[in-house]
Amino acid sequence: MINFEEELKKFHPSLEVEEAERTIKHQDLTDMVDVLVRVVKDAKEELGN
Amino acid sequence: MNCYKCGRPLSEKNFCTSCGVDVGLYKKIIYTANRLYNDALDKATVRDLSGAITCLKQCLKLNRDHVEARNLLGLVYFERGEVVAALSEWVISKNIRPEKNIADDYIRVLQENPGRLDSFNQTIKKYNMALAYCQQDSTDLAIIQLKKVISMNPKFLEARQLLALLYINTQEWERARKELTRALRIDANNTTTLRYLKEVEEMQPSEEEHGKKKKEAIVYKSGNDTVIQPAGKKETAGLQAVMNIVIGVVLGVGIAYFLVLPARIRQAQEDANVRFAEVSELLDEKTVEADGLNAQIEALMREKEDLSDSLNAARGTGSALQADTDLIEAALLHLQDDGSEMEIAETLALIDRVYLEQEATESFRNLYYTIKNEIAETVAKKSYDAGSDALRAEDYDVAIENLERAVEYAPDDGEALYNLGNAYNRSGNTSLAIPIYEQVVEQFPNTEKARKSANYIKEIRGE
Repeated sequence: MINFEEELKKFHPSLEVEEAERTIKHQDLTDMVDVLVRVVKDAKEELGN
Repeated sequence: MNCYKCGRPLSEKNFCTSCGVDVGLYKKIIYTANRLYNDALDKATVRDLSGAITCLKQCLKLNRDHVEARNLLGLVYFERGEVVAALSEWVISKNIRPEKNIADDYIRVLQENPGRLDSFNQTIKKYNMALAYCQQDSTDLAIIQLKKVISMNPKFLEARQLLALLYINTQEWERARKELTRALRIDANNTTTLRYLKEVEEMQPSEEEHGKKKKEAIVYKSGNDTVIQPAGKKETAGLQAVMNIVIGVVLGVGIAYFLVLPARIRQAQEDANVRFAEVSELLDEKTVEADGLNAQIEALMREKEDLSDSLNAARGTGSALQADTDLIEAALLHLQDDGSEMEIAETLALIDRVYLEQEATESFRNLYYTIKNEIAETVAKKSYDAGSDALRAEDYDVAIENLERAVEYAPDDGEALYNLGNAYNRSGNTSLAIPIYEQVVEQFPNTEKARKSANYIKEIRGE
C-alpha cells in the first residue's frame, strides 16, 4: 500500500530557468580521472619525501 | 584517447609514449565510461529513460568530459520534460567542447524560440505550485494545476506521476491508470511509475478481468442504443417474470411500509405539530385582537346610540318649531282673509300628522282644526273642481293631488271620493283604486256611484 505522505516527499520542486545558471555553477564535476590524477600526484609527493 | 597528464594521444601501451606516465587505470576508467554510455544509448533507444539516466550519470562520474554522454543525458532530461536540467547539461557540454558540438544546436533551437522556453518555464512554475498545494493538502487545486501542466507539456513525467499519485490517494483508480500508462509511454521502465501502476492494478480489476466480465455479457446494437445482456442467461419465462414483478412489488411495499412510511408519518406529525403551534399562536393573537375590536365596537355602538338620541331630540325640537311656524303662517293668511284658502291648505299640509296627533299641544290642535274647518268648504270645492278638470284632461297626478285634498276637506263628498278612485284606476294604480271604490260602495250604498264602483272593482279583479 502506497503511503501518500511518504511518496509526496520524494517529489521535489523542478528547476526553473532562472535557476539554471546557479545550478551549472554549483554542479560538482569531479570525476574518477580527477581522483586518479590526485592519487598519483599524492603518491609521487610521498615518494619524493 | 589522450594522456591525462600531457594530453598527447595514447597508444595501445599501458603508459604514455610521450610522458611515460602509467595510463593503465586511466584507460580502464575511460573504457568503463564508454561502456556505460553504450548501455545508456541502448536503454534510451527502447525508451528506458530512467535506466539511461542512471548509466549516463555513472559514465560522467567516471569521465566528466564525455561530451556525447552529457549531450545524451540532456536529451533524455528534455524528453522527460526536465528542460532546465537538459539545458544545464548542454551548456556544460558546450563549455567542454565549444566546437563541433551538437549541444550547440539544441541550445540554439531553444534560444531562437523564446516563447517556447517561456512556456516550459511556466509549466515548471505551475508544477512547483501544484507540489506546494499537495503539501498544503489542497488536493483539488493541485489536480487542476497538474492538468494544466500536462496540457502544456505532455512529456512532463514527474507531473504525470504526481497526478497519478493524487488520483491514487483519492481512489480514482481508472484515472490514475490512464496517467501511469501515458507516463510509461514516456519512460518505459521508470520504477516509480511501475510501482504506482502495480498499486493501481492491485486495487482495481485488471483489463483481462474486465474483458472476462465483458465476455459474460452479450452486447448488441438496437438502433442507436447498445444493449448489454448477460450471456448464457435464458429468456425469462412469462410466469417467472410475473413472479419477479410480484416479489419486487411486495418488497417495495414492505420497504415503504416499514422504512419509508414511518419516517414520512413522523415527519408529517412533526410538521403538523409545528404548524399547530404556529396556528395556535396566531389564533391567540387574533383572539386578543378580536377582543379589542369588540370592546371598540361596543364603545362605538354606545356612542352611536347617544348620538341617535341627541339627533332625535334635535329633530323633535326642529319639527315642533317647524310645525309651530307653519301653523302661525297659516293663521296669519287666514286672518288676512284675502281668498288664499288654497295657500292656507298647502301650509297646513306641511305640518307633520304624527306630531299633530301625538306630540302637539291641545291649543295647537284646536287652532289647527279651527282654521281647517273654516276653509274646508272652499278648499274642498276648489280642489274638487281642479281635480275633475285634471281628470278630464287625463292629468292624473294633478287630479289625484286635488281630489285627495277634496276628500280630506269634505269626507262626505261622494263625487270627490268616486273621482279619486277613477283617477287612480285610469292612472293604472289599481291597487289604490280598489279601496277607494270599496269606500264609495260602503259609504254611499244604493247610489249610481256605488254601482259603478262595484263594477270597476269586478272589472279590475277580472271577475
